[in-house]
Amino acid sequence: MSTEIMVKKLPNDIGGTGCSDDKIEIYERNLYPWEKRCHALLDVLDYYKIVNTEEKRRGTENIGAEMVAKLTYYEKWIVSASNCLLQKGILSPDDIAVKTKEVAKRYDVKL
Amino acid sequence: MTHNHPHDHTPIVQEEKPGYYEILEISVRELMIEKGRITADDIRKQIELLDSRSPVLGQQLVVRAWTDADFKKRLLENGNAAAEEMDITIYDDTAFTVLEDTPQLHHMIVCTLCSCYPRAVLGLPPDWYKSKQYRSRAVKEPRSVLAEFGTIIPDEIRIIINDSTANQRYMVLPLRPEGTEDFTKEELEKLVTRDTMIGVTIPKII
Repeated sequence: MSTEIMVKKLPNDIGGTGCSDDKIEIYERNLYPWEKRCHALLDVLDYYKIVNTEEKRRGTENIGAEMVAKLTYYEKWIVSASNCLLQKGILSPDDIAVKTKEVAKRYDVKL
Repeated sequence: MTHNHPHDHTPIVQEEKPGYYEILEISVRELMIEKGRITADDIRKQIELLDSRSPVLGQQLVVRAWTDADFKKRLLENGNAAAEEMDITIYDDTAFTVLEDTPQLHHMIVCTLCSCYPRAVLGLPPDWYKSKQYRSRAVKEPRSVLAEFGTIIPDEIRIIINDSTANQRYMVLPLRPEGTEDFTKEELEKLVTRDTMIGVTIPKII
């Protein structure tokens, strides 16, 4: 197969690639509180033009095929947001390392 | 104040400890607040806004369009302006386009790239709308996708799939069912469910 298509097509550009065997799982659920907060956080970051919707979406594609397949929707969002903020130098790796440790301790969770 | 209603007074507690991604969410949010880039009130307000949006708003637009031809014209010409007219702000600054079903034409919306959705008028999308299955199949085999939702569109009716983007959102204006001429506004609203405005089903008189 020509590799051209892989260059031209983004990994998330999946329109038309599915087949009828991939049945749609139809169900309703409420978001977990952290998922809704995550949604709100990304909206606010977009509002202040810190990380816009397009950058967030690209960020969810750039985490590698394995993670794309395994992470849930909002897990990808928060990973994308933190990567964008790191790339832009708004947060440093140290900021995140120190803070996650502090938050984990607060909830008595071992990371 | 009397307090004899029969609800359970067990406080809502989060049983499970936060996992890695929730801790990351808390951390990023707190860091951005500490750095003065955003405020806690911004997040609170946005959650309040997200919670205030639901298919009820889309229902109002559809029923108004069904019962007011001039409004329908304005809605189809400029969704943003018509929504504003009904005091519904398209808060995410996207272009809002309404797609009119006709007896010969059925519309269905998707976001093949991600999960773009007319959140301002329908609230947040269901999980299946964001799923790989729906996104990858909708544009290729809409009839088979629709059948999984229990919707059979006759072959002579054309199906158009509109692919949403970060800047362009769609909503379907479904066809008003025959036999609803005497329905009240409330009765009509009941026919307009979220899924009829996504286009995976059509309004039905039960």
